Amino acid sequence: MINDKNSQKIVDIIQNWARKHSIWVLAYGTGCGAIEIPPTMTSRYDAERLGVRGAATPRQADVLLVTGYLTTKTLKRVIRVYEQMQDPKFVIGFGSCTINGGMYYDSYNTIKLLDKYLPVDVYINGCMPRPEAVLAGFGKLQEIIAEGRANGAQKYKDNLEWYKANQKKIIPSLLTTDYNW
Amino acid sequence: MKDIKAKLTEKIKASFDTVSEKDYNGNRLDFHVDVKIIPQILTFLKVNLGYIHLSHISCVDWLEEGEFEIIYILWSPVEKLKVFVRTRINREKPVLPNIDMIWRQANTYEREMREMFGIEIEGLEGAEEFLLEDWQEMPPMRRDFQTEEYAEKTFWSREGREDAIDVREEIIKRSREEIPDFAKKYSR
Amino acid sequence: MDLLTNILGAIATIILAFVVGMSYGGIVRKITARVHNRLGPPWYQNFIDAYKLFGKTTAIHHGWMQIMGPAFLMVSSVVTLMFVPVLNNGGWFTNLNFKGDLIFLLYLMVFGPLGMALGAGQTGNPNSAIGVTRGLSQMVGFEIPWVMALVALMIQFNTTTITGLMDVQQMSGTWLMFSSPFAFIAAVLAMLGMFRYSPFDIVGAPTELASGPVSENGGKFLFTMMSSGSIFSFVKLTLYVDLFMGGADNLIILLIKTFSIYMIPVLYGIVSPRYRTEQAIRFFWGWPLFFGILAILYAAIF
Repeated sequence: MINDKNSQKIVDIIQNWARKHSIWVLAYGTGCGAIEIPPTMTSRYDAERLGVRGAATPRQADVLLVTGYLTTKTLKRVIRVYEQMQDPKFVIGFGSCTINGGMYYDSYNTIKLLDKYLPVDVYINGCMPRPEAVLAGFGKLQEIIAEGRANGAQKYKDNLEWYKANQKKIIPSLLTTDYNW
Repeated sequence: MKDIKAKLTEKIKASFDTVSEKDYNGNRLDFHVDVKIIPQILTFLKVNLGYIHLSHISCVDWLEEGEFEIIYILWSPVEKLKVFVRTRINREKPVLPNIDMIWRQANTYEREMREMFGIEIEGLEGAEEFLLEDWQEMPPMRRDFQTEEYAEKTFWSREGREDAIDVREEIIKRSREEIPDFAKKYSR
Repeated sequence: MDLLTNILGAIATIILAFVVGMSYGGIVRKITARVHNRLGPPWYQNFIDAYKLFGKTTAIHHGWMQIMGPAFLMVSSVVTLMFVPVLNNGGWFTNLNFKGDLIFLLYLMVFGPLGMALGAGQTGNPNSAIGVTRGLSQMVGFEIPWVMALVALMIQFNTTTITGLMDVQQMSGTWLMFSSPFAFIAAVLAMLGMFRYSPFDIVGAPTELASGPVSENGGKFLFTMMSSGSIFSFVKLTLYVDLFMGGADNLIILLIKTFSIYMIPVLYGIVSPRYRTEQAIRFFWGWPLFFGILAILYAAIF
């Protein structure tokens, strides 16, 4: 009964609904984007009414919010944080810096394309995106979760070698740990 | 202020021969010295003349002249005077005496200088990887390091952005400013 | 009563405690949001969170003790629930009400946190260790006035059972809240620490300790802790209602009484910042302890 395809579909729909309405965010506050998170969470824009809530540690979080530029040193830490998170997990790239480098397009130690290193589900455009844009980004994430299209983590698992090669290219000393997802 | 500066110059000249000074308006005085007497002159300023505070150590890359210029900025809380001690070293084999026994905090500046400009500092404590991780290219703050090329090569670019307009040209056209000759080189 | 009724009654009690505790948690989040001038999540938000946490995978664990920790918490909450009378006349929710007494309950109530401390210790996260030490120090703080309040009640009415104390209130017609007021004050002040709302949220301070003992636990671990916490808060509230407010004749009255007493730590917590550990202990060993001693004297003299 439980392995039946139709009942699995129903379970998926209910679970996706729950995931959609309960998003625990781990805000990795690099750069100037960290300052946009407090207004989003507090009384003016109140993200909690959508079920968006801050998580304290990667183990409890569903969404990794990368709020700005990543230097090669921070990228190493972000990768570790991402790999500590438990499935299902999603990544939101926040601001121009994660999309195409933004104003750091010619920096010698700042990465430009986040999706070469981590599977990004939703990008929020802007420099910096206002809280309205952040809420719109969460809305988009909810939409694709409900449709079951937010499969970034699966993409990461399937193309692990490609992602690891990209990461190794700029961080030669990156330790590859054993993964047992 | 003029008396203080004159007195200070006199005292320095009496102890060291190869020093040339340059006066500025306000509370600033520059000394151009040879690299060999850097520890001696800094010790002299600190111990005998009361310039006890090291504000900053700066490095300038004079690519055209083939030299690095190192600037030590000192401050005396009694005389309220900033003293810039400047020295030039060869760009090909840059070697600098270590001064972190005079001011302990100079160590951090020296480590950063060593990493960012590739200046070798004699007997530096902690001469290892500091701010950069796994850096294999030439030191990135040197002016002949092609930053944009390196970024393009290492971090890729988002496709579909090649037709981006150079905003600077447009702004200059609208404000009817002339581009100076030296700046034309850096404008795309 | 036969065995089947007992088992069904126990299951019904657990479900009731779970639903009520979870809903109270959601209502508290809503109230907090309204105080902050926000709209807040819906009252059933905690159920969604719990279901989502249950649906998450748990890829790694740090050893068997980490799994045992939440299980200890759950077992301790459920067993405590079995010994606390939910309604005056028992009925479906009788369970084991007539078996244990207050002293046994006191031991049982610290069993869960101790197991949790062992589980948190094995995760190896430094934040967990700090959270555990803080939690145990805080427990040393609030347990003393709490025990003193209970001892005062035992001396005053010559009984150590909860049902005995409830009978006393039924017979005399006044609540113990009024007939032994100092014990009530001491117990309420101890309750502030027991519920771990701010200013006593020093154990799981999210910005300071990254949620303390639970920092390495996600997914199903967190689900277990969340639901056992909800059950345990229902247990504590019911115990207060039983001891000091004359119990409840039916579920509606129970909900009204528990909710009103729940508002004391919640509303005090919303407007308070966080204490440091030594400040919290100093608080509990100040006025609550004084009222505890006063309660014992009052009980011994009258």
